[in-house]
Amino acid sequence: MPSTKYAGTLTSKERTLRALRGEPVDRPPVTNPTNVATVELMDLVEAPFPTANRDPEMNARLAATGYTQLGFDAIAPYFSIIQESSALGCEMQWEGKDNWPTVRMTRPIWKTVDDIKMPDGFLDHPDNWTIIESIRLLKQEFGDEVAIVGKTMGPWTLAYHVFGVEPFLLATVDDPPMVMDMLHRLKQFTIEFGLAQIEAGADVLTLPDHATGDLVSGEYYRRFLMDLHHEFVEDLPVPIMLHICGATTDRMPYIATTGMAAFHYDSKNDPQESMDAVDGGINLVGNINNPVTLYSKGPEEVRAEVFKNLDAGVQLIAPECAIPLKTKLENLLEIPRAVEDWAAEHWDYSEN
Amino acid sequence: MPIVNDGLQREFEWVTRPGEQKHISEALDLADEVMQEIAYQLIIGKNLEVDRLTKECLDNGYTANHILDHGLLNGMAIVGVKFRDNVIFVPEVLVAARAMKAGMTHIEPILSASGIEPIGTVIMGTVKGDLHDIGKNLCIMMLRGAGWTVHDLGVDTSPEEFADAVMEFEAQVVGMSALLTTTMPNMGRTISYFEDIGLRDEVRIMVGGAPVTREFADEMGADGYGENAVDCVETASDLLQLQKELA
Repeated sequence: MPSTKYAGTLTSKERTLRALRGEPVDRPPVTNPTNVATVELMDLVEAPFPTANRDPEMNARLAATGYTQLGFDAIAPYFSIIQESSALGCEMQWEGKDNWPTVRMTRPIWKTVDDIKMPDGFLDHPDNWTIIESIRLLKQEFGDEVAIVGKTMGPWTLAYHVFGVEPFLLATVDDPPMVMDMLHRLKQFTIEFGLAQIEAGADVLTLPDHATGDLVSGEYYRRFLMDLHHEFVEDLPVPIMLHICGATTDRMPYIATTGMAAFHYDSKNDPQESMDAVDGGINLVGNINNPVTLYSKGPEEVRAEVFKNLDAGVQLIAPECAIPLKTKLENLLEIPRAVEDWAAEHWDYSEN
Repeated sequence: MPIVNDGLQREFEWVTRPGEQKHISEALDLADEVMQEIAYQLIIGKNLEVDRLTKECLDNGYTANHILDHGLLNGMAIVGVKFRDNVIFVPEVLVAARAMKAGMTHIEPILSASGIEPIGTVIMGTVKGDLHDIGKNLCIMMLRGAGWTVHDLGVDTSPEEFADAVMEFEAQVVGMSALLTTTMPNMGRTISYFEDIGLRDEVRIMVGGAPVTREFADEMGADGYGENAVDCVETASDLLQLQKELA
């Protein structure tokens, strides 16, 4: 269902949580299920990569800019997808200020399902601990006014990291029951890290699980992940935003049955077709294009994409995925501005 | 001969574009029963079968070239079409590639020893700061299957490494891959580096990767863009032709 109007003014936190629950809002929220930190913002608050990924205070300072500088309705204190995998022992490439840290997936750490074991001190590992502590700090400072979004990786993405993309995808053909077993065992890491973030104060969790159409079919999603994702709704008692990059329209009808609060979708999917595909079963978050629109175009093009989403009834507006770190601030600032202008034009505030 | 292998016939039905139908059908006309079986086993990803059949055929007097052209490449042609048309996805292509590799293990040493000229030489790598390689590896597999000599520089490849490889191997084409929006600009930086050292006119450059678009490729100054691994082979061939015309 498209968002409906709430007769009053909401805080960013209320706006986000209401939209995720499918309740009326004063305007559609602008959120950030994935990273919105940029090099400019790092300079502004003196919190550069890679240190900002491993220092809770610096991490919180940079994350807060999503709200304080950009005017988004949420704060997300993670800038990459490496935390859990780093804690599990994967090799990292930390990179510099202008690139995300990355897992060296070409050097997998595990070979068989029996290798999957919870390591001692999983939550105390510096990369996990930083996020948990950052959430505590953000909750103290912004907890009443803005939604704090945590992130816990799904088992499919963790499998890419620990087993390597190619070996894992080959296993899905060679031995599907073993892959199901792998996914069920990997789920423990998703839950453990997710619950720790909820305990620290996360209002919402993003759950990236990259069963993307660039790699696997929609049928794969149904077969391997749909039920598992449904289980996360029971296991993690906050609204969950599932994130999958790339072309996903073919699997949206399945995603819509999981009971998750929202699906964060990519610009490879048309907003109207996506709304039709989920058919009211789940909220959509998205899908402002990163590499072309936000990175290399201007505010007018950003505005046009925001409007296209809102016209289609998309409930929460966000960049499609983690933004390029050299994205211009004027393009990001245009997103909430465009949402406010669209709402002013399309929603009748005289009733308030 | 017509297609006599029932499985291969079913697979051929996925080829729906008239030009491709004609091209693949003509190629299959030259494939006897056992070559059709190799093609079919490759499509369905049976690497052990392809390994066994290839070895048997070589023992029975088939030439390495014949098995490559009429068995393995016919299979890969249909795999490529199915992948492009979203009938199959990466896992299914990976098992087909594994089967292709099983056949090539027997064939490649014979072809190398026979001194047959490759179509051309291409340098492939994922750009600096990017550790993703699955798409690049699929492209390499398709390029090698189509007769190219490919030098794989792996992941996290600097502009200098690309340029050094072009000079060392006298490559006509460079292929750059990126999966991250943060690393995509490194394609442009690599192209600029080629310009700076006076190497730009010596080589054609193609780019690809999940977030890369034709528009982005044009803005970066690339000569070609491949949307997928099948496209990559066609783009490389077009660029080679262009490079020959410019030479």
